[in-house]
Amino acid sequence: MDMITDILTGFVSQMQKPTLAFLIGGMALAAFGSKLEIPEPVYKFIVFLLLMKVGLGAGISVRAADIVELAVPAVAAALVGIAIVLFGGQTLARLRGVTQVDAMATAGLFGAVSASTLAASMAMLDEEGIAYEGFIGALYPFMDIAALVTAIVLARLSAERKAAANISGQPGGAAALTVGEGHGNSNAQMVRGILLDTFRSAAISALLLGLALGIFARPDSVYESFYDILFRGLLSILMLIMGMEAWARLSELRRVAHAYVAYGLLAPLVHGVFGFAAGLFVHQITGFSGGGVVLLAVMAASSSDISGPPTLRGALPEANPSSYVGTSTGLGTPVAILSIPLWIILADMFIGV
Amino acid sequence: MYQATKIVIITERTILDVVTKLIEQGGATGYTHVEAGGKGSRGVRSAIRPGISGVMANVKIEAIVRDKAKAEAIITSVSEAYFQNYSGIAYVEPVEILRPNKFEV
Repeated sequence: MDMITDILTGFVSQMQKPTLAFLIGGMALAAFGSKLEIPEPVYKFIVFLLLMKVGLGAGISVRAADIVELAVPAVAAALVGIAIVLFGGQTLARLRGVTQVDAMATAGLFGAVSASTLAASMAMLDEEGIAYEGFIGALYPFMDIAALVTAIVLARLSAERKAAANISGQPGGAAALTVGEGHGNSNAQMVRGILLDTFRSAAISALLLGLALGIFARPDSVYESFYDILFRGLLSILMLIMGMEAWARLSELRRVAHAYVAYGLLAPLVHGVFGFAAGLFVHQITGFSGGGVVLLAVMAASSSDISGPPTLRGALPEANPSSYVGTSTGLGTPVAILSIPLWIILADMFIGV
Repeated sequence: MYQATKIVIITERTILDVVTKLIEQGGATGYTHVEAGGKGSRGVRSAIRPGISGVMANVKIEAIVRDKAKAEAIITSVSEAYFQNYSGIAYVEPVEILRPNKFEV
């Protein structure tokens, strides 16, 4: 009983912290029908600055980290990304009213990482004074790319199987020829195309640039005097935007199956547990910090809402964007952000932070 | 004034690059695109609030060609390539142009 009260009071005090309060404020504004608009270039710029901050910070720390300390969590992050997509294939894809390609696109987004959610969790850990490995931002692309590539490849393979089954039913014809050509240009080429597209996406390219600058240049002065200082204020604006956006995207969900609502609400918590478990495992091997475990859980719980959707729209045109964007931005992101305190409490219980 | 045909394509912003490529391949010497919003079979798309992901944003693309058959061939190729999976509206309009040499390859 005491534990439940502790969790509840902890939760309420977290709600009052800037990160969650601005998110909830944004949702309330949108629900109230406010005319407030924050223009597209503004949040694109904010997301870019946050990613540069995360990338630069990680790059600067990578210089000091040793390779094993870095490689074990990176592999864990990639495996968690793949596990989330496979889990989606076993759950969401089997629910009523959900097509295989829509399920894979949705699971891919949920496996991918949200820059805003990751930044929010870093800010919350900073506020609590909980330490975490500086290089954690470098794990982002591993989970993000692993999840998107797995989802797209699985969706493509299942579409090909279906097409092959259709052709054997009705031999010959022009349809058989075009489909044959479609998967004639091997899977390796498809994966290369997806990787290129992912690396060129706004989020990953900004993050990688930050990482590279952090590792190969000496950007410490500009990092400390600019990026690190602006970080928290900009994050509060982004949280407001995410809250408003979540509310706006919820209306998309009215047009798709109920299964997405259940997935959007529950999957972030299950995925967070995957990430948390992987984090504990890494903790056993390399002495990964409690804060690091929290951030790995948050990355797993989060779902991509800015860089993932365009990649999926290009790679899986048959998938309905209303279902995956609605589920991710409308439900996945707010649930993931609101669950951050849960991972902090769990990390405290399991290893102490 | 000279007779010409204007192609209008309203579609998703994510495929702007590939659609304009088809327009150029079809023989147009240029094109204009603007952010678009509106309502159709896939619901309301807002130009002011396109959503943070960008996949719900639309564009309106216009191009002028001298030859009507060319215009029809362009919108047919765009429609066949993308309109099954992406939202799209395409039509042609007769227009009068001032400088025909601008629109000839």
